[in-house]
Amino acid sequence: MQREEKQLEMFLDNSLSKLKDLKIAIGQMIQKIEFEHETINWPTFLDNFALISSHLAGLSKMLSLEYTPPIRNLTVLPLNLSPDVDERLVQATEGRLPIFAAEIVPDYLRTKPDPSAENRMNLHEAKANAITNEAASKQVAQFNKIVSHVFDLISKSRDEWEMESLHRNVRTETCNQGDTQTLVKAIALGIGLKTNSPMMMQQPRGVPGQVPVQMGSPGIQPMQLGKMPSSIKTNIKSAQLHPYR
Amino acid sequence: MTSENQPIAAMDSLLQASKVNIIPNQEYLLQGSILDVQVQRLLHRLKGLCDNVETAPEQFHDYEACFSLRNIADEQAIHTAPLLLRVRRSNDPADSHMPWQLRYVGNPELGDTKRPTLVRSCFDISCSPSIMEFLTEMGCRLEFEYTVRGYLFRKGRMKITVSKIFRPMNQEPLSGSYLVELSLLAPVGADAVAEDMRVFAEKLKPLVILEKIDHRRIAPN
Repeated sequence: MQREEKQLEMFLDNSLSKLKDLKIAIGQMIQKIEFEHETINWPTFLDNFALISSHLAGLSKMLSLEYTPPIRNLTVLPLNLSPDVDERLVQATEGRLPIFAAEIVPDYLRTKPDPSAENRMNLHEAKANAITNEAASKQVAQFNKIVSHVFDLISKSRDEWEMESLHRNVRTETCNQGDTQTLVKAIALGIGLKTNSPMMMQQPRGVPGQVPVQMGSPGIQPMQLGKMPSSIKTNIKSAQLHPYR
Repeated sequence: MTSENQPIAAMDSLLQASKVNIIPNQEYLLQGSILDVQVQRLLHRLKGLCDNVETAPEQFHDYEACFSLRNIADEQAIHTAPLLLRVRRSNDPADSHMPWQLRYVGNPELGDTKRPTLVRSCFDISCSPSIMEFLTEMGCRLEFEYTVRGYLFRKGRMKITVSKIFRPMNQEPLSGSYLVELSLLAPVGADAVAEDMRVFAEKLKPLVILEKIDHRRIAPN
């Protein structure tokens, strides 16, 4: 007998500490919702929620263990009901419950669901059992159809958005590396600007620009080009000779 | 390119500097390009960023001819890069009184991976229109020529040009983009200015990516 009592005491201590953890987790969750409801994001919210549910799971696991004393067989008896404020009770419940009176005892010491809730649950269960297998599978099929339809709609819109954003990215392209290279090469080395470079190579080096004609200068007439030495005659024929080539 | 809008103070300090033999002969350069359709956005941004707000953008229309001088006697020299001299003048009739410009640009300095900009020596000399004849008489050969039309902005000592390069024969644009150059002339050792240029180039991203481009590295041969 004494051993059982000891066991029960140990179990109650364990449960109390677990309940305390649960209480703290719930408190933190409430605090988060109260103060950070504008900034909180789903991942942190769900993390908190997972914490609470893990505490609950631990508690129910402990209750289902074999060596747990059957607390179902124990009875809780309200020994003293009074309509006055009980200071000790206020302290024990951290200010949540000031009075232990007749009207609130059923709520706090309840071991079965509220009768109205129980009725509704029974109703639902009856309804669920009434449906035949065939009807159920039909409904599942219908539901799947609706879900896949919605999924199609969403993925279509997503594709459209992606196309749009891709299009926007293309439009923001403002410079072309190839063009930069072309331009820099052209002004630095003349690549792309020398259209008649093979002809230039043929020009004799020793006698550069026999008749220098200044562009746009009114003094010297281009007519003088006619008296070119015969050595560069071919050049004059092949292209319009540049005055400095 | 005209220089008549250059602030007097800058001109004075330039003269003062040349008196004591401080010559801005190093060019710090960053280059990039922008597609024709986007150039208005860039001009708008430059208008906001640069100094000459009331006159910007200053337009220019230049002609540039590049002459080469090779040492014919030396067989080996034919295979090395020739000395290049650039002659530039404005095509704008309003600038007909402005001198022509002869420019020598050196090779980009090596071993400057840490430096944010390209650095090369650079000499500008004003000259008369007869420079073309003079160079030809000296044995220089016209390598290539082009016309350039675009916009000029100033930010402190930095010069920003947004310009289109045309082939001189048919005035056909060389590419579908404008060349964007950010340059600054400074005396030897004024490396701090490169950092200013990097910061400025950063402000034009991602519209234009201004980079240091080594001309020798992109050459096909």
